[in-house]
Amino acid sequence: MPRRSFVCRCEDVTLSEVDHAIALGLHEVEELKRYTGLGTGPCQGKECISALVKLLIDKGLADPETVQPFTARPPTEPVTLGALAAGLAPDAGDGS
Amino acid sequence: MIGNTKAQAMGRRDAPLPDRVDVAIIGGGIMGLATAYHLSKNSTLRIAVIERSYLVSGASGRNGGGLRMQWGDEGNVTLMMQSIEMCRGLAQELGINLWFRQGGYLFVARSEAGERRLMRNASLHRDVGAPTRLMTGAEAREIVPQLDTDQVRLAAFNPHDGVVFPWPFVWGYAGQAVARGVVVRTHTPVQRIEVLGDGLRLHLGTGEQLDADRVLNATGAWSIELNRALGIELPNHPHRHEIMSSEPLKPFLDPLVVDLATGLYFSQSTRGEIVAGITMPDTGPAATEVDLGSSRRFLAHLGHALTQVMLITSQLRVLRQWAGPYDVSPDGDAIVGPSPGVPRLYQVCGFTGHGFMMAPAVGKIVADLLSTGKHHPMLDRWDPSRFARGTSRRREDMIIG
Amino acid sequence: MSDTDRALSRRGPARCATALRWDRDQLVTAREGDTVSLALLDAGILETSRSAKYRRPRGAYCLRGDCGTCLVRINGLPNRRACLTAVHEGIRIRPQNRLVAGADPSALVDTMLRGGMDHHHFMVRPRVVNQLMQGVARNLTGLGTLPDRMPDAPAQHRVLEPDVLIVGAGSAGRAAHAVLTDGGCDVVWVDRRDRDGIVAEANAAVSDALLDHTGVFGVYVAEGLWAAMRDTPGQPAVLYSIKPRHVVVATGARDPILAVPNNDRPGVVAARGLLQQLRRSDATLAVPAVVIGEGAYATALADALGVEALPPADVDRIEGNPVDAVSLRDGKGKRECQLVALAPLPAPAYELARQAGAAVRWHGGGFSVQRDQRGRCATTAFTVWAAGDVTGYMGPQSAADDGERVAAAVLHSLR
Ligand SMILES: Cc1cc2nc3c(=O)[nH]c(=O)nc-3n(C[C@H](O)[C@H](O)[C@H](O)COP(=O)(O)OP(=O)(O)OC[C@H]3O[C@@H](n4cnc5c(N)ncnc54)[C@H](O)[C@@H]3O)c2cc1C
Ligand code: FES
Ligand code: FES
Repeated sequence: MPRRSFVCRCEDVTLSEVDHAIALGLHEVEELKRYTGLGTGPCQGKECISALVKLLIDKGLADPETVQPFTARPPTEPVTLGALAAGLAPDAGDGS
Repeated sequence: MIGNTKAQAMGRRDAPLPDRVDVAIIGGGIMGLATAYHLSKNSTLRIAVIERSYLVSGASGRNGGGLRMQWGDEGNVTLMMQSIEMCRGLAQELGINLWFRQGGYLFVARSEAGERRLMRNASLHRDVGAPTRLMTGAEAREIVPQLDTDQVRLAAFNPHDGVVFPWPFVWGYAGQAVARGVVVRTHTPVQRIEVLGDGLRLHLGTGEQLDADRVLNATGAWSIELNRALGIELPNHPHRHEIMSSEPLKPFLDPLVVDLATGLYFSQSTRGEIVAGITMPDTGPAATEVDLGSSRRFLAHLGHALTQVMLITSQLRVLRQWAGPYDVSPDGDAIVGPSPGVPRLYQVCGFTGHGFMMAPAVGKIVADLLSTGKHHPMLDRWDPSRFARGTSRRREDMIIG
Repeated sequence: MSDTDRALSRRGPARCATALRWDRDQLVTAREGDTVSLALLDAGILETSRSAKYRRPRGAYCLRGDCGTCLVRINGLPNRRACLTAVHEGIRIRPQNRLVAGADPSALVDTMLRGGMDHHHFMVRPRVVNQLMQGVARNLTGLGTLPDRMPDAPAQHRVLEPDVLIVGAGSAGRAAHAVLTDGGCDVVWVDRRDRDGIVAEANAAVSDALLDHTGVFGVYVAEGLWAAMRDTPGQPAVLYSIKPRHVVVATGARDPILAVPNNDRPGVVAARGLLQQLRRSDATLAVPAVVIGEGAYATALADALGVEALPPADVDRIEGNPVDAVSLRDGKGKRECQLVALAPLPAPAYELARQAGAAVRWHGGGFSVQRDQRGRCATTAFTVWAAGDVTGYMGPQSAADDGERVAAAVLHSLR
């Protein structure tokens, strides 16, 4: 198996792939996310955002004082469509 | 490796701007970039695209990626037949994977009114040569075995419709435009447009200025503010449209399915996620500003509608929800052409929830208009002056979402 | 497999033996209370799926429910987290995204594309090749397959309107809960983990009031609610719409990835998660292992695990599938091992607080939630407080103190 250093294991994004995207002129967390796919997997970036930002700071592409992570959209924990559907039904109301 | 193409630079935040160009395009969404690409291919005009944020930050990076020729009006069907034909070879033309998959669109009708709409469409489609097939619920189940078709009165399937992955579409146009000399400047908002004697001047957020003979307002749901400041009143307005994707699954769903009764649509992406949206009831008064918030209410409506038509999805999990702006035009037709009162400013707005699929064709139509003056028949319907003139007419009833 | 082949040695009062069924027919013995991930690890089963693009073997990493690489099929449902699921009699676990067991032919993708795959520009031309490639790609991506069966019962919906919602039952959350209930508050307290895991971590009893298996999945400020799902095994799911006056966000910190070469190999896990799982199962490592990490945090974890800590800068690469060694740079040799435990500084789990309107700031290892002196991080439809590691990693003792202090401030503002 070739040697690879992964930044994002969900989407198989390696350090060299991030470098490649940076070389194309993409420097911002949101655009790097979209171009490389980093942060779009099952964990939604929980495991990889820190590694990406560290890398950008080390390369002088992000300012540690102002850098922000990508938007944290729900769901942050699993929720099924069946449970969500129950949200339309009237409240069971037993409060437990 | 055989068939690999070269990665192209797609525009930069520090791309140097000339003092003057022939055409300046505001907005690096699919409309602006498709137009820039076709202009650069067909003309020698000097072109610059100015994008406020990163590419794919607008509606073009937030949509469901559905492409269909199943419309309710002849003009739209024909336009989409052209657009889909262009898409077939577009990955090779743009040198980037678009993941265009023609799995068809399957519309299901559960009411008599819906049934009538599908029958009317099918005969229209037959007349213009679109291969739409009407079928029973049982036949629809052969295409999507998990579908609950008990209440389905009629279904319509067109195998040429399909889905794409939206992001590379945008990057592909941008990369080819840049390779042909178009300046694509990102992270630079246009704050104001000034009318000069011989052109227009763009005042940029960076303090720079850019003069142009003609300017394209391709800012979609954000177009209103730039227009109003020039006294151009157009009736399009932003509308938040929410969408979600599920955990990735192995492929099981080929077409994009639309349930006419609820406005639910869902498809499966190449990565295996179910991508789904729905028409929301009572969305309140028309907004003036773009709102990208997410709601639990949307998930509840979506979960309800999806589990009704496909019970097996009850135990599927949502991976992410997000929102994007529809740029809603009141009669359902786009707003394309010279602006009333400011003829050097062209609009390419008002594409509501279907601009992505139309962009390949529209980019060419607008580029032809700007470079040769060639006038595509759809431009009459799309004329920005139709509202003031009172000739706006609603022709299309197959707008989803 | 005999007990001597196991990766762990068990201590303490013997727990009942049980078994899980792995990959169709393999019976794996486990002890009651083990998570699926720990039981598989103990049996030497480290690979549980193949990755999305390079088709590399993958297994559990964080062991705390954050990374999503332990996803397996559990009792006929796809993409379930093995590290958060307790073994029970008759449980069936299947790997995902593998074409065949053993030598998967799709692993060739990894070998052939040594230099990496630029998926945007891969096999674009000519069109026939592109179409073929897309067809293959579609079948290789995606994780699990559709569920085997329909749900047993529909989900329920409950609306709760407590004075205070506490999210998290780690050190900070437990301390906050004690203070707030002592103060007579009406509290809803949730954690996504199961009670056993929390009790093992607390090393003490945990209040019955805790809703375990309950993950808050979103904060919807405009709708005034915190939405959660309770997913207790064997019971219908419950959707909670929680409309609290105050919220204490005590979601702790996650173990991010360390970008060392071959950090994706089965057998590479997070040190903190590993230690917690071992404690939960009264177990110690019976196989050689190393920690990769630096500073006091990594050293403490290495000591607790009883293994050596290697600085990341010394690591040339992780070797073997599953791992069998870490080779070091500059002639420093090689360490034979069957587990590699990464010990990056934990990164705050800021997402919910941020959805609620809190600001976050880069903090060296991650983004930490910003708060005022009393602990408030957002005031919208509810007053949101942040306590413990979510404000920057501080460790269990300090987090407990912090939870207590913030809860006292919440009490004060409720009076
Ligand atoms: C959730 C959702 C689902 C959809 N699904 C589909 C679908 O399945 N099929 C389909 O065909 N269509 C779909 N659409 C519609 C489609 O996305 C849009 O019609 C299309 O992307 C519009 O493209 P655009 O280039 O006009 O606008 P945008 O992509 O929004 O581009 C406008 C650009 O202008 C930039 N901009 C704004 N103001 C300024 C300024 N002052 N200066 C410089 N730049 C500025 C913005 O940042 C933005 O990048 C969907 C839309 C949404 C929101
Ligand atoms: S590791 Fe990047 S999305 Fe999960
Ligand atoms: S989520 Fe289970 S190991 Fe990370």
